[in-house]
Amino acid sequence: MDRKTIFDKTADLRRSDYFSSPGVPLISPGDVLSPQFLRDDLFLPSLGELDVVRHYSNLAKLNFSVDTNFYPLGSCTMKYNPKINESMSSLEGFTSIHPYQREDMTQGALELLYDLEQKLCEITGMKRFTLQPSSGAQGELAGMLMIRKFHELMGNKKNKVIIPDSAHGTNPATASMCGYDTLVIDSNSQGLIDIEKLRSMVDDKVAAIMLTNPNTLGLFEENILEISNIIHNKGGLLYYDGANLNPLLGIVKPASMGFDVVHLNFHKTFSTPHGCGGPGAGVVGVGDILKDFLPVPLVNKKNDKFYLDYEIKNSIGKVRTFYGNFNVLVKAYTYILRLGRDGLLRVAQNSVLNSRYLKEKLKKYYELAYIKDCMHEVVFTCEKQKERGASALDISKRLIDFNIHPPTMYFPLIVKEALMIEPTETESKETLDNFIQIMIEINKEIDVSLEKLKNSPLTTILKRVDEVNVARNPKVRWIKDKKSI
Amino acid sequence: MPYILNTQKDIKDILKCLGLSSIDGLFKRIPEQLKLKNSVNLLKGLSEFETKNVLMGLADKNISIDSCNSFLGAGCYDHYIPAALSYILSIPQFLTAYTPYQAECSQGILQAIYEYQTYICLLTGMDVSNASLFDGASALSEAVLMALRINKKNKILISQSVHPEYKETLKTYLSGLGFIIKEVGFNNQGIVDNQALFECLDDDVSCFAFQSPNFFGLIENVNELVHEVKGKCVIPIMATNPLSLSILKEPGALGVDIVCGDGQTLGGNLNYGGPSFGFIATGKKYIRQIPGRIVGATVDKEGKDAYCLTLQTREQHIRREKATSNICSNQSLNAIGAAVYLSLLGKEGLKDAALYSFSNAQYLYKRLKEVRGINVPFKPTIFNEFIWEVEDALIIIEKLYKRNIIPGYYLEDKFPKFKNCILSCCTEKKNKKDIDDFINAIAEVLHG
Amino acid sequence: MIDLKFTKSHEWVKLDGEIVTIGITDYAQHQLGDVVFIELPEMGDKFDQGSQFGTIESTKAATELFIPLTGEVVEINSELSNNPQWVNENPLGKGWMIKIKVNILSEMGSLLDEGSYKKILEDEINK
Repeated sequence: MDRKTIFDKTADLRRSDYFSSPGVPLISPGDVLSPQFLRDDLFLPSLGELDVVRHYSNLAKLNFSVDTNFYPLGSCTMKYNPKINESMSSLEGFTSIHPYQREDMTQGALELLYDLEQKLCEITGMKRFTLQPSSGAQGELAGMLMIRKFHELMGNKKNKVIIPDSAHGTNPATASMCGYDTLVIDSNSQGLIDIEKLRSMVDDKVAAIMLTNPNTLGLFEENILEISNIIHNKGGLLYYDGANLNPLLGIVKPASMGFDVVHLNFHKTFSTPHGCGGPGAGVVGVGDILKDFLPVPLVNKKNDKFYLDYEIKNSIGKVRTFYGNFNVLVKAYTYILRLGRDGLLRVAQNSVLNSRYLKEKLKKYYELAYIKDCMHEVVFTCEKQKERGASALDISKRLIDFNIHPPTMYFPLIVKEALMIEPTETESKETLDNFIQIMIEINKEIDVSLEKLKNSPLTTILKRVDEVNVARNPKVRWIKDKKSI
Repeated sequence: MPYILNTQKDIKDILKCLGLSSIDGLFKRIPEQLKLKNSVNLLKGLSEFETKNVLMGLADKNISIDSCNSFLGAGCYDHYIPAALSYILSIPQFLTAYTPYQAECSQGILQAIYEYQTYICLLTGMDVSNASLFDGASALSEAVLMALRINKKNKILISQSVHPEYKETLKTYLSGLGFIIKEVGFNNQGIVDNQALFECLDDDVSCFAFQSPNFFGLIENVNELVHEVKGKCVIPIMATNPLSLSILKEPGALGVDIVCGDGQTLGGNLNYGGPSFGFIATGKKYIRQIPGRIVGATVDKEGKDAYCLTLQTREQHIRREKATSNICSNQSLNAIGAAVYLSLLGKEGLKDAALYSFSNAQYLYKRLKEVRGINVPFKPTIFNEFIWEVEDALIIIEKLYKRNIIPGYYLEDKFPKFKNCILSCCTEKKNKKDIDDFINAIAEVLHG
Repeated sequence: MIDLKFTKSHEWVKLDGEIVTIGITDYAQHQLGDVVFIELPEMGDKFDQGSQFGTIESTKAATELFIPLTGEVVEINSELSNNPQWVNENPLGKGWMIKIKVNILSEMGSLLDEGSYKKILEDEINK
């Protein structure tokens, strides 16, 4: 296997002439700009198109993906990404419009954004959405800053945000970026928020609680209305991390659970591809009390014309340039149109059905972290396997040999040796049955061929990589003839 | 049902295995009062054919920039994108993969991001780049947060000539943290007013953020600015257009500590403004303060070259409330796209893109200056865009629109000082005829 | 006879008059795994008992280091920055972190002796 970087492959000058000289007098920058502004040299590789296409095509072969592998990565909702989404989002009428073009030239884009917002309001029960945030984390930032500004304007002196011990790391990180202290609420023995502890924790200094529901253990917070009352009674607000909305589509609206702010991850629930970690979209919906705090602009309609409205009374401002990851929004809109009311419901039903099937079939072999009925994902603890010699990491790496992407490991943090499995609704029973067989097989291997497990993966181009030395002495860029920065 | 593979029989079999009589039994943990009776109130799903018609109808209501003679830039630029780029980005093992947490089955992604990081370092002259941020505005905001972590001071200076949406985003990002943000004005040359900057530099200032080429297209005296602020132990942060760095001095060589910006110019579609990607680069000494993911080169246990995500203790999934940032998903595919774009164009191709853009802009500058009634206020110390002024600009713009010409970005809304001013941009996609047509049209509009 | 004391947060303290040496225990390094980075304070920094004086990181975790006694930093093991693995290899020896000059001698009484520390470890392991 050739592991040369593109920089090691540079040849003598090859060029592809992607554009021609514009016909104006070509001016050497040195004729107009002072030499202090100009660079001396720039090393970049010179390759032909085939060199480049082959390089990246070969790199692609080294990756697992949803299109090529079962990818039961918990909390990430690696569902199938419909191809119609891609072809619609690459229409020239969407890719070749400039954000500062006049609104009468982009009525189609504005109409799409307007209608998408309406549909999201119906799906979640929220009153309005900003489509601006680029990811769930940026959505959290926007949402929590709205909460902050709301409290400031109301004269509420609040400095704390409550976050469950099972929460995604983005929640506490966001709270800090908004200047709040994080208070951690423990989960009880059933994997749900400990209501009595919560009650004793909440005072009038609490600005909000940030929750996913179902939580990261895959369990529905059954006492959500009581939680909502406890928080609201002290003047706090409820923030919904929509990472796990998938199993509630058409079943429960976040608004009816008492949430004041909701972010949705389009790259999870609404089938836009993850693209090696982005771009996604983290749109944020709010109830009536926070409507006036949304980022600018919103899309509104007047006399059948759509326009960008910058007149939002208490807006927190902008959270990024322009109007969001528009191209991603087109994909999610396509998906929602395609599914409609029945399709959305089926998503929820089948996502739960599939995960419950895995839970039922695997619980004899792997211990459940919590026995309660799970929703769209199930968390096992491999503590028993660890005692026999194989950790959650070993089991995960061995799955790669069977062409299956490992589940989320060691998360949530409150479960030791955790494996968090989310099959999603788009996988077939055959795929699940195959996965079940392999998991049973691996469990057997612990007793008969432990070494194999410890050395896995065995079929990839590489064995396990050394993550320790690189963290001690990081090499994060290529340098000619040198291996460190 | 689209995208669901379970048949009625599969569903029945699984329910039986679970001991349930109906699919509703899956949701019995949810209190009844919360449940919808009959899904949400949307239309039923459309066939793929119907869906396509709706979307094509909407796309047709937009007027593509390719069907106009457009000189719009202002942070989003219409460059030519090689066909091979979109081809590579549509390969399933890039498009539909997740973040490469599992190194052994993600080596291609990791290497591609490592190459992206290297490209950013080569262009900027810095040691370290992360794997991308959301856009130029979030990159600038994260750069400022990074500076605040480094020297723990509490005042931020930002040049008024930075992209207005970057400034607005920065204010939002920092709105919960109680820092002081102060704007530094520009002089009659359209660049940072050194005197004003000097007066603002006190012991509390953490960093000075500026943009070059700035929002008005002008190249700042980076050397001077950096010298001045570093003398006061203030961290210089420079936002830039990475394409301009193929001809302009790399900020690393000028002493800039943090370089950031938007990568849309490296092979990104306009996309109505998103997604593009943000980049951030810094010196080795600040590597542990940079936000977001970073790929490092390592070896596997048999000593073969390998890549993995590294320095993850900076990140939210480990450090939680003490993380350098809350960022999780970034814009990896766009960042990989930039690496592919730079590889396809190569050294000469990239220089051509920059040189053609520059030459077109210089030609437009010269021609506009010759038109009676038009004032071009600043020197052509520019890369690809500049400001010009004309009386009754809004009326002129309107008349040009009727001739299918988009002259540029109207500045007055964001910069009241620039009444009747327009910011015009040229990329390599413009040619002599486009520019001559524009000049002829404006001469006609002005003088009949 | 070297007088070694411990804290509940798994630091050790070696007393030598009013100068004490501080590091983390073998149990702590074991829990952490391969140490990749240590952030230590500067010479002359002053800390109150129990406040954070640094951070220690493995690839998967970052843990705060707490100062066992109020005092001023008088020496730093600067070689640790290039050799973080020393904390794993020899936590009580060349993996030491800082030396401080203590201010409040009465605080010594709050430290644990070896026996009490071992008891805490047993409780922690049984948890």
